[in-house]
Amino acid sequence: MRRYLAGIGTMVGLELRQRVRGVAWYVLLGVFVTLVGAVTLLLWLASGGRDSGGWLYSLIVYFILLLGTLVTPALSGNAINGERDAGTLATTQVTLIRTSQLVLGKFLAAWVSSLGFLVASIPFIVVAVLLGDLSALTIATSAIVLAAELGFVAAIGVSLSGIVTRPLFSVTLTYLVVAALSVGTLIAFGLLGAVTRSQVQLSTIGVSTATYDETTGAASSLVCAPPVMSTYSVQRFDPYWSILAANPYVIIADAAPGSFTANGGPNDLFSTVSLGVRSAQRAPALSVVNNMCEAAANGDVVPSNPPSARELYDSAVPSWFVGLGVQLVLAAGALLWAWSRTRTPARRLAAGSRVA
Amino acid sequence: MSDGIRVTGLQRSFGGIHALHDATFEAHPGSITALVGPNGAGKTTLMLTLATLLAPDAGEIRVAGFDPVTEAAQVRMRMGWMPDILGSWAALSVRTTLEITARMYHLGRRAAGERADELIDLVALGPHAEQPTRVLSRGQKQRLSLARALVHDPSVLLLDEPASGLDPAARIRLRLLLKKLAFDGKTILISSHVLSELDEVADAAVYLDEGRTATAEAVALAKERLRTWRIRAVNEDRLAATLAASEELAGRISTDNLGTLVAVAGEREAAALLTGLVAEGVEITSFAPAVGDLEHTFLDLSGGGA
Repeated sequence: MRRYLAGIGTMVGLELRQRVRGVAWYVLLGVFVTLVGAVTLLLWLASGGRDSGGWLYSLIVYFILLLGTLVTPALSGNAINGERDAGTLATTQVTLIRTSQLVLGKFLAAWVSSLGFLVASIPFIVVAVLLGDLSALTIATSAIVLAAELGFVAAIGVSLSGIVTRPLFSVTLTYLVVAALSVGTLIAFGLLGAVTRSQVQLSTIGVSTATYDETTGAASSLVCAPPVMSTYSVQRFDPYWSILAANPYVIIADAAPGSFTANGGPNDLFSTVSLGVRSAQRAPALSVVNNMCEAAANGDVVPSNPPSARELYDSAVPSWFVGLGVQLVLAAGALLWAWSRTRTPARRLAAGSRVA
Repeated sequence: MSDGIRVTGLQRSFGGIHALHDATFEAHPGSITALVGPNGAGKTTLMLTLATLLAPDAGEIRVAGFDPVTEAAQVRMRMGWMPDILGSWAALSVRTTLEITARMYHLGRRAAGERADELIDLVALGPHAEQPTRVLSRGQKQRLSLARALVHDPSVLLLDEPASGLDPAARIRLRLLLKKLAFDGKTILISSHVLSELDEVADAAVYLDEGRTATAEAVALAKERLRTWRIRAVNEDRLAATLAASEELAGRISTDNLGTLVAVAGEREAAALLTGLVAEGVEITSFAPAVGDLEHTFLDLSGGGA
């Protein structure tokens, strides 16, 4: 077992030295630090330095996720087939390194290098903590889930590089997977919701006769009119909210504990995003009674009292662990597939590929 | 349990293309065996199956006594492979490359460092030890690749085109190194297109054509066929006149820029011819086979004629 782990360690070391830790990576890290620094400064100026730690922190985490998901496919998407093209894969395969060590080592190296962004943003996270209004639980959960998301992208990238023969194609495929999860889920959610419509039965009960007190204006001896029926259609998003559960940005937001202001509004970007997704869980009422007669009797003009953001958030089902669980299964399955495609002695070779 | 390499009835196809039809041969410890064949004969496929990278469709293989398919780890412990493609980790230095390769064979950190130093000396890459491998010349990469194959002191060496790109001095060093390794009891299988080069080191040969190894009888027969000898003399005209006078040699004489060529069957006839020429008073300066043993046999087997 120790020997097995040492082999993985050798592979990680090789991978970090050979492929990942290049000039491009440091340039990206520099660009990233500059960007996050600018955002921190602007946010600090905009808030006047008060109680904006939650917003700043959630923005930084989304930045890391954005850059991590943009860079990791490039670092991991040709890990195996790129080495095959360079003629160095087979020289590793003839050693005592096993295929599983090779695949896992490459995956861990790609993951570690994407986590570099998280490490580089620690100073700004400290600033966010100093700005206040940021709970330790939020930091812990979002950092762990962020790391898991970057790991998922790294696993998909390395796996595709083992499954697909051509490096360019596997890198592109990894980007497509990232795009499908980050943007595609939003598009699918929006389009499906827009084309799914339900008819709402609206019955309006008006006032037929009433006498009004001349001084107070209060109604008395009300006679309600018979209900008037009408229908209109609404878009239905509630059957599709689970699509958003696969979105990395949603997963991070949903996993972080909700943070709300005293009057029930969201207090950081995570809560805002999560609130939006959780609101989509509520099915619209399909028969609505608009009882103006009763309202008039109660002297109440506004008949209903809509739930606050906090109440909506708390009444809905959290979905982040479903998304994370599905991604975990996908990542493990993909790595397994890559392992079986990279195994030696090879029985079947993909068309146009060579062993060494 | 016999060491070395034993291959019986090896077959391998890719899609509809049969790379290996029926390869059968043995390579013994202490011997350098040449693997000879034209492009596309299946040499690299054969090397890859021996190197535990490719599973055969049929046939039996033993490398250092183990089956590369079912006992790959055992074979890998004892086998060093130098690929025909010179891949190297471009960003890593020569020393780091060898250290990491040693670590891949479970050597400890310190042992790996020591082994790297030994190998750098062995293949004379000292001045380039700290350079990234991407700046190495082709010949230097070739030597690095050989060093990598030797990291774990294997008893069986599979060398695919080891001398291509080497300058004459490096070629001589490689030849000496291979002879020393064979003397130490290692089994060496070496493939090359440059047959004259193999002639200098190999003491046994496997001829591979269209996925089939030539049988021992076919090889023996080929060696007896007419073979061209090159003759040079102080007075070329005198030599030409003397040869032309012989009825026996009619139609077997040609000339090229290097001298006169005569086709002769077997060494006995060559000796007789030399004796005859000297007796006629021709001042011979050079009398040798125009092509090496391997090339002669190879050309004959592949129907090229000699």
